[in-house]
Amino acid sequence: MKLFTKLFLIPLCLLGWGAAQAQETTYTGVVTEEGGEPLIGVNILNMRDASGTITDFDGNFELRANVGDTIMVSYTGYQPVTYVLGATTSLEFELKESAELLEEVVVVGYGSQKSKDLTSSIATIRSEEIEKTPSGQPMQALQGKVAGMQIVSAGSPGDAPKVRIRGVGSYPGSDNEAPLFVVDGMFFDNIDFLNNNDIKSISVLKDASAAAIYGVRAANGVVLVETKSGNYDAPAQITYDGYYGVQRAQNVLKMANAEQFTTMALESGSEADISFIQNAMQRYGRSRINPNVPDVNTDWYDVILRDAPIMNHSINVSGGGTKAAYSVGTSYFMQEGILDMKNEFERFNLRSKVDFKATDWFTIGGNAIISNGKRYLPDNSAWFRAYYAVPIMPVYDEKNTDATPLQLSNAQDLGYRGGQNPLVATEFNQDEQKIRKLLGNFYVQFNLLPDKLTFKSSYNSSYTTINQRNLDFPYFIGNAFQQENSVIQKIDESYLNQIWDNILTYDDSYGNHNLTVMLGSSYRDEAYDQLELRALNFPTDQEAAWFIDQAETLDTDRGNVGDDGRRYYGISYFGRIAYNFDNRYLIYGTYRADGSNKYQEKWGYFPTVGVGWVLSEESFFDIPGVNYLKFRASWGELGNDRIQASDGATTTSVVTTSLDDKQYSGTETSNTFSALRWEVVEETNVGLTSEFARSRLSLEADYYIRNTKNAAIFVPIPVIGQTVLKNVGEIRNSGFELSLNWRNSTSFGLDYSIGGNFATLKNEVVDLYGQEYINGGTAEFRQRSIVGEPLLAFYGWEVAGVYQNQAEIDADPIAVANGLEPGDLRYVDQNGDGVSDDEDRVVLGSYLPSFMFGANLGMSFKGFDLSVNVYGQSGNKILNRRRGEVIFTNDTNMDADLAINRWHGQGTSNTYPSSKGIRKGWNQRLSDFWVDDGAFWRIQNVQLAYNIQGEKVFGPGAPDLRVSFTADRPLSVFDYVGFTAEIPDGVDRQTYPIPAVYTVGLNVKF
Amino acid sequence: MKIFNKYGFSIGITALLLLVLPACEKNLDEPALNRTFNEEIDYSISDNMVLPLIGVYADFYSRGWETIPLIAVRGDDVNAGGLGDQQPFDATDHYVYDQAYWMYNSLWQLNFNDIYTGKTAIQQIELYREAGASDALADQYIAEVNTLNGFLLFHLSRVWGDMLIPETADPSDLLVAKLSTKQEVMQYISDQMDAAIPHLPTVHPADRTDVPGGVNRYTALAIKAMAEQELGNYQAVADATSEIINSGVYQLEPDFYELFKLKGKLNRENLLELQYSDYGQGSGDANFHLYAFYGPQNWEPAVEGIGGGWGFFEPSLKFIKFMLDRGETVRLETSVLFTDRGIAEIQQDPKYADLPDFVSNTTRDGDVIKDYARALFASGKHYLPSNQITPGRTGYGNNKNYTCIRYAEILLMHAEAILQGASSSAISADQAVNLVRARAGMPNITGATLDDVVNEKFAELATEWGVRYYDLIRWQRYDELSYDGRTFTTDKIYLPYPQAQVDQLPILGDNP
Repeated sequence: MKLFTKLFLIPLCLLGWGAAQAQETTYTGVVTEEGGEPLIGVNILNMRDASGTITDFDGNFELRANVGDTIMVSYTGYQPVTYVLGATTSLEFELKESAELLEEVVVVGYGSQKSKDLTSSIATIRSEEIEKTPSGQPMQALQGKVAGMQIVSAGSPGDAPKVRIRGVGSYPGSDNEAPLFVVDGMFFDNIDFLNNNDIKSISVLKDASAAAIYGVRAANGVVLVETKSGNYDAPAQITYDGYYGVQRAQNVLKMANAEQFTTMALESGSEADISFIQNAMQRYGRSRINPNVPDVNTDWYDVILRDAPIMNHSINVSGGGTKAAYSVGTSYFMQEGILDMKNEFERFNLRSKVDFKATDWFTIGGNAIISNGKRYLPDNSAWFRAYYAVPIMPVYDEKNTDATPLQLSNAQDLGYRGGQNPLVATEFNQDEQKIRKLLGNFYVQFNLLPDKLTFKSSYNSSYTTINQRNLDFPYFIGNAFQQENSVIQKIDESYLNQIWDNILTYDDSYGNHNLTVMLGSSYRDEAYDQLELRALNFPTDQEAAWFIDQAETLDTDRGNVGDDGRRYYGISYFGRIAYNFDNRYLIYGTYRADGSNKYQEKWGYFPTVGVGWVLSEESFFDIPGVNYLKFRASWGELGNDRIQASDGATTTSVVTTSLDDKQYSGTETSNTFSALRWEVVEETNVGLTSEFARSRLSLEADYYIRNTKNAAIFVPIPVIGQTVLKNVGEIRNSGFELSLNWRNSTSFGLDYSIGGNFATLKNEVVDLYGQEYINGGTAEFRQRSIVGEPLLAFYGWEVAGVYQNQAEIDADPIAVANGLEPGDLRYVDQNGDGVSDDEDRVVLGSYLPSFMFGANLGMSFKGFDLSVNVYGQSGNKILNRRRGEVIFTNDTNMDADLAINRWHGQGTSNTYPSSKGIRKGWNQRLSDFWVDDGAFWRIQNVQLAYNIQGEKVFGPGAPDLRVSFTADRPLSVFDYVGFTAEIPDGVDRQTYPIPAVYTVGLNVKF
Repeated sequence: MKIFNKYGFSIGITALLLLVLPACEKNLDEPALNRTFNEEIDYSISDNMVLPLIGVYADFYSRGWETIPLIAVRGDDVNAGGLGDQQPFDATDHYVYDQAYWMYNSLWQLNFNDIYTGKTAIQQIELYREAGASDALADQYIAEVNTLNGFLLFHLSRVWGDMLIPETADPSDLLVAKLSTKQEVMQYISDQMDAAIPHLPTVHPADRTDVPGGVNRYTALAIKAMAEQELGNYQAVADATSEIINSGVYQLEPDFYELFKLKGKLNRENLLELQYSDYGQGSGDANFHLYAFYGPQNWEPAVEGIGGGWGFFEPSLKFIKFMLDRGETVRLETSVLFTDRGIAEIQQDPKYADLPDFVSNTTRDGDVIKDYARALFASGKHYLPSNQITPGRTGYGNNKNYTCIRYAEILLMHAEAILQGASSSAISADQAVNLVRARAGMPNITGATLDDVVNEKFAELATEWGVRYYDLIRWQRYDELSYDGRTFTTDKIYLPYPQAQVDQLPILGDNP
């Protein structure tokens, strides 16, 4: 302890520590609730040094403190009381029940509202919750916390998780279905540039009524992010927050080992496959354990995976005087990827926010965030290559003497078509991204009528540059497995987005009438530029020379040189009225007119209305135990202009070809073109907000129906295999959301909370404007959007079993007609016509979960606190596309599950085909054999922390310390044969695994 | 004063707001960037009329590697190349069809896609014509596009039989189109060629200066002859081939081996070929066909570092023995790359214990074909010796053109038409057959029979574009197709329509 104190003394002295100790007095008191019942376990906190006590079974307490100290008496579910200690040493406190949560101010679009005045569904997550999750991605911290919001984790360092609010209302692909993120007024597609410590709160505007003020950008929900700001008249607070940890791959996929693989090959009926095994035994010897198996057993996932560090350090300073408030912070985040290659992410952020009351009638302020990130991207093909690389080949092969620079093995030496070795992905390329982002926000606010009428004009701008450098290094492993030239490719992208908002707000009360009116306009300008170059043979051994200038040859091939740009403009006018009568009847409405140059139709109009009835405020309402009860209903229309800009006319592009060994340029003209308009989402939401049992229990429930009209869907063009985006559908998402929280304190000082939430989701194609269905996916892996079924449902044959013997084959005309053998799959003849054909296909499931749940437990006792979060989902399917690759290349390895459970004789399996069968077209049809259940549940986050009140332990002026241990996603449970059941679009080919993260954290507060 | 300031400010800003924003509204009319809108193209620059045509050639040349092998694999001249990878390709070779197999759909889509690229190019050419470009030139370009489209549609219909005829430039019109019988399709192609022929140039493709290697009148005649041959209109075949022969534009390349190497590029023998090039440069821009598909999986190239192949597309033992029986030399040497394992397999039959010298695992250019499990032989006509690869390039067959129609085929079609009863205005069947035989170092024959032509076509055109398979179908010599453990039945003549297409065009499902 002494050493510990000493270590802290030095810096603390520099900060001017050393206040004199004053004389202490003993105070005694009793705390009761209204009506006189004693309260047990009430916190009594001395604000000066954070010392304190709690009340006993009779509500009594005793506290030693100085005269003049301020104490705070607080108890869950009651309004806290502060009191300045004087000469009286015998104290009495009577606490009033609070509707604390409901008094909270919630950020809504272009303003704020009290929680109790809301008629819509908004969920707010605050910084403490966000900081608990060790991740470079703030949104990751929200997984499982907001009913109805699905967060699909991304494992790759620097990748943003996929966020879906209330299902998918827009056709997937090109991120059309992502919500709008608004960071301090600026629009973003995601918030991957923010550090968890930069954020004060995240509000999720779930329903149309809440989001409609964002009009054309709001259709997929809106996520409002407030960065930290200072408070007026507050002393400076300096906080250090950091953690260090390690990430480890979870649920590592077990592959067939050499012995299982050999068995599969021998059973394949393919001479070639059998000969490859022979070749491997000749080249690498025979196993001493089983002489019929090559003496190699490579677990390729083991080869390409590693444990990887993660850390974060941040310092925040905030405070304010009478005229100014400030908050300044800096942070450094670093994460390496679990893929064993140059795969990492680091980010340095600087942030400052200042508000200044220039006069009593106007305030100015500014906010700047600088984010400087660098990413080395994984070559995700490694996951896939490791899946199919055969285990009978070593990583390095001494006999492959020609190989350079690494003596990697070559599957072609065994006879395989491809070289396979996954290390070509991890060793011979490097993709670097420098991501620099500058977000600036300046505002001026006039108080035209004090506390009533304000005008705020704010200019927001974000400038992003992404400099990408993709390198391919030369290697030689075999004649047909080499990269002769080194390649350097540079892609520079820049985004400059600007928004200018002007808002007039009027706020007034007359008796029981409370009214807020807001009118505003917004101008948007989004510019994007991209330039791309490629060159061959650069000096690979000197990093300082990795420039196009240093390369031998410029690669001027069309497609390798690129220049692109976009510019979108938007103009909007909007308004809001919020009215409540006597806090009992609430009416809310917004209207927005949006103009855009993205489509041929320029203007869209988006209204919403909401009503609320606070039943518990009625004089006749008298149900014991119910503190607060509000019914809400709302309706609104939203737009989605995330769908791509439409060309509105055919276009021409340049192509080249060789004629008589000379290069000629020609043109190609598109034969169709998109003529799109925005999608319109219409949503109805009904819900209730309530608090029970002295506000210890809160319950919020919502039911919604959300229809996307004019849904832009990729419609295949007949026979040529291309698609064109057209507004041809109506998609409905509907669901029920419920969240329940209980929090309480006990007499022995244990505070705890238990919460849970769940959401159901029904996704359905309601109309395709005359068509019965629209195809999606690919011909081999068909997904189909059928009226009455979920969007892009997997569509194929239903497996009835496996033919076990020749008698079963002979007895089934379908088997005879298709020349089947025992070990082949038997499909259900849906229409009973005695023929198995495309008419027998059915919907095999949707990639969207129909049920999601989250639960959390929080406990604090003395200095300890513990929190546990659980998350899960079910009802979704995953296409095991990794396995499905056998369609294109069928002499490669497969997972152990398949190898072990394969049919290999009567009675061995009724679900898996034989080794021979899996290579046949018949069994490769998309059936539920390839489509797996995606249900999972997971311990999302466990954090145990110990808090040390510095002044109490080390004396006045000492900082508060918090030491925490966090296990993030330590346990996931699922049946799916893959690394993770979190697959963004349900098609799992090379998804980056989601690692578990174990960290130690330290928080110091001065 | 303060009050005035306040209101002055706010009124000022409100005014600004009202004035500035509407002024910005004109930005809402800004079009999408980085697009060349057709309406902005200046069609009065007549020299640019060739650009859409070159675009069509570019598309025509960029054929997927899987498309031609799928067209060709079912004949008794060539095998898929063993099990292992791409088993449904092998199953197709064995007449076991899987309509969901990706190659089927790919061939369908690529051919149709190129046909529609051509159709939109024609619309562009018409716009240039309207803006004042030469009428004759516009007619010629359109005729060229239609010739290429005829070739693409011809193969679609040969593979699938009844087919959709793309009449308009909008693929969506096919949603309501009816399926045409194979006869109707072939007649349509023949008519299209008739319409194109008068507008096409008459010089050899290699002598064309505007579009070197582009099609000419004789390409269209050849495609017409092929379509008429499918219809059994042998007089029309004889007429078309006579015109080609009488033109004197084409000659057989004396060196059969080199015809399939670099020397074959824009050779006097070729009527239509896919052009590729590395422009003589070891790196940088290049257009290549993926020949690795045909290449041996294991070899020791004479020039070190040249990549091998995937080992598909194996000339059949039946073909090799057929050639040995005939005493063929250069045609066998050119058509087949032998492995030691393959040679041993031939020699298992005591009849072939003694083999000519050229049956060796080393080609005349010194490339050594090593054993590999997938197959016993590799295709020689799709092989480019490693010493002909431009230094710096390493891909198998890089820089090699792909011949589509050559004069030898025209001569043999001509001979067959005569023997099928047609009359020639050019040369006799014997003359035609002997021209082909002489080049191959085979003695002249007299009184050639249909069987002689059948065999000559087998020897001359094996592994090329499925000529053999579709000939056997046309002649109804189905027994030939039941070889090496295969059983051919007439319900296997056509491939089933690709599943993806049936999903989209229910009319295809109505005619299984």
